[in-house]
Amino acid sequence: MQGVSAPREPTQPVISTNSTILNMREKEKYIEEFDFPFCDESSKYEKVAKIGQGTFGEVFKARARNSNKKFVAMKKVLMDNEKEGFPITALREIKILQLLKHENVVNLIEICRTKATLHNKYRSTFYLVFDFCEHDLAGLLSNVNVKFSLGEIKKVMQQLLNGLYYIHSNKILHRDMKAANILITKSGILKLTDFGLARAFSVAKSGQVNKYTNRVVTLWYRPPELLLGDRNYGPSVDMWGGGCIMAEMWTRSPIMQGPTEQQQLILISQLCGSCTPDVWPGVENLDLYNKMELPKGQKRKVKERLKPYVKDPYGCDLLDKLLQLDPAKRYDADTALNHDFFWTDPMPCDLANMLAQHTQSMFEYLAPPRRPGHLRHHHHVAAGAKPAAPVQDSGYQDRVF
Amino acid sequence: MPYWYYDKKDLQNTPSFRDGISTDTENRYRKEGARFIIDTGSKMDLGYNTVATGVVYFHRFYMFHSFRTFPRYITACCCLFLAGKVEETPKKCKDIIKVAKSLLTEQKFASFGEDPKEEVMTLERILLQTIKFDLQVEHPYGYLLKYAKCLKGDKPKLQKMVQMAWTFVNDSLCTTLCLQWEPEVIAVALMFLAGKLSKFEVLDWNGRIPKHTAWWDMFVEDITMELLEDICHQVLDLYSPQPQSSGGDSPTGPPPAKMPKNDKKPLSVTPPTSASPVAAAAAKSAVTPSKNGAEMKFEGKLEPLRYAYPAYGALATYGGVFAGALPPPPRPGAALVAPRVYAEPPPPRFPPVNVPPPNYFPPPPPGPPPRPYYPPT
Repeated sequence: MQGVSAPREPTQPVISTNSTILNMREKEKYIEEFDFPFCDESSKYEKVAKIGQGTFGEVFKARARNSNKKFVAMKKVLMDNEKEGFPITALREIKILQLLKHENVVNLIEICRTKATLHNKYRSTFYLVFDFCEHDLAGLLSNVNVKFSLGEIKKVMQQLLNGLYYIHSNKILHRDMKAANILITKSGILKLTDFGLARAFSVAKSGQVNKYTNRVVTLWYRPPELLLGDRNYGPSVDMWGGGCIMAEMWTRSPIMQGPTEQQQLILISQLCGSCTPDVWPGVENLDLYNKMELPKGQKRKVKERLKPYVKDPYGCDLLDKLLQLDPAKRYDADTALNHDFFWTDPMPCDLANMLAQHTQSMFEYLAPPRRPGHLRHHHHVAAGAKPAAPVQDSGYQDRVF
Repeated sequence: MPYWYYDKKDLQNTPSFRDGISTDTENRYRKEGARFIIDTGSKMDLGYNTVATGVVYFHRFYMFHSFRTFPRYITACCCLFLAGKVEETPKKCKDIIKVAKSLLTEQKFASFGEDPKEEVMTLERILLQTIKFDLQVEHPYGYLLKYAKCLKGDKPKLQKMVQMAWTFVNDSLCTTLCLQWEPEVIAVALMFLAGKLSKFEVLDWNGRIPKHTAWWDMFVEDITMELLEDICHQVLDLYSPQPQSSGGDSPTGPPPAKMPKNDKKPLSVTPPTSASPVAAAAAKSAVTPSKNGAEMKFEGKLEPLRYAYPAYGALATYGGVFAGALPPPPRPGAALVAPRVYAEPPPPRFPPVNVPPPNYFPPPPPGPPPRPYYPPT
């Protein structure tokens, strides 16, 4: 369609008085017809279903028109309310995804555009196009028919830590670790996704302090240092989230579901013990240390409260190391990967066989809300409280293969 | 895959050239656009990385579009706007436009249309598609400092040389060198030039091995003297008198016939009050390292490069302006720009890489070495 319509005619722009440059209409036609060699039109894919909502736009499953077998995930870059053009968050995500190429990080194939026409005021919409992954971890965990063996849990965690090791080695913080941002392909390969909050970090040199925003990470996965206002944090923020996700592999729902930042801190203290300079030197210097209510005299009960779920002592021990209050004591990805958990029987085992029993895609976005069955207090746990209400392996998923 | 390096033939046969704009005129537009980005950026306290990134976007953009289709000053604003976001030094679009307006004549600003901000917004999408979302751009500055660290010799003289090379790198933004050579090569060439002009001969360097005939052999393979001289001349040409009024002054201005033939006025990108003696003294650095090295600030007002600068020979005294040469700044810290040292621990691309390398955009960093999958003992 041409950008020619009657109402536009009278408003010939000022610059058209100059014969040496294009007038507005010529320019619009030029934009419409220019075949950007490096940016294909999104019409080469056909949307199949909406599968999620990213930090800056919707996510669709789509099929490549030139191949019925090839599926992709398309993440729309939402720009409607952007006063400052292409969102800086999307630019960051693109920059980071272009840098990161690893088996355990989602692969950005390309960026597509819609054609610029009069209809969209000559402004394209952009989509980030990714390799399609069939499931996300939150979707899998919300389905009681999906059962992970200990070896399979080890495989999930090993891949997750491997992905974190890679991105941290490349000086990238994910900053939004949560089960919904962990994708798993039907062949059992785990991929970290949604780098919409990610950023590059530098190791703070002495006398130089980083000032990152602490308003990151979904509340339930947010580490105590962020809740206390730390702005000079590092990869350990992702490791806390990794610990929360690891526990969730057994509890099947997020272990600390605080409704507010204050409540989240209380939940953390109840599980990991009080935040004191004793166990966490320097905590007293954090901005919000005196502003938040910090439960006193809480004992650390990580192993005690997770044991009924986790059982495996190595698993409990690794969780204990990941859910350390003091970020300096928290295991980094490398140390965690060397933990006995991954090197004792049962060894990590492939997920493909287990996933082959499920023929439908499972995404958190498509699943019903998970029960609030988070980590109970020990007396509940002792009573053997288990998430109830089995969810059928049908009804909400999008049929994929 | 896009490959952002072109040979001279491609640099002649550009969309603008095919659109009837002479090569001389196009080069002038490029220079004016680049200079305008530098001036606007400096006025807004943007760092050298942001400014340089914006300029590279600008040069790449016009390998796909004509200056006739997209007037240079608004494109320049758009490039700076995007570079600000990419380099984590974002500036509001309306603020960039405000500064642009203050630097341009009314006539030139008219090319921004009735709603300049909307124009920039539309243009940003075209820019992103044109540059293939290849946002991360490397510049010679970092290499310059890295190489300088390895050189042995009289410290003050070395500093003076680095300072001068830094200036040349700034000015090289006004050429199409970033479309011809990798930043590593440009850094080597302009250090070579600065070494010649400041009479600092590099006789020894850290990491020297017998097969090295020059210090740069450590970093870039197969650099020939012809190549070095070609690059140096492209920068030095900036300082020699330009052919006047080759082609219309601007596709955005009034028809060329109405323009004075020999327009010797400073380009309007320079504020009218720009007669700073410091700036006029020589080919002044566009971007000068600040004293504490924390952030690059543009010092003084800049004269447009179109002014006749001392000829090659006279430039031998060039270093004089930099009496008390300041140490070059460290790589920008986190405070200013997001760290760009993504590529650790993957090994550096140099040494050695053939020049030109087969593909400047190789698959992204291989990442850390594979983890040894052995159980800990």
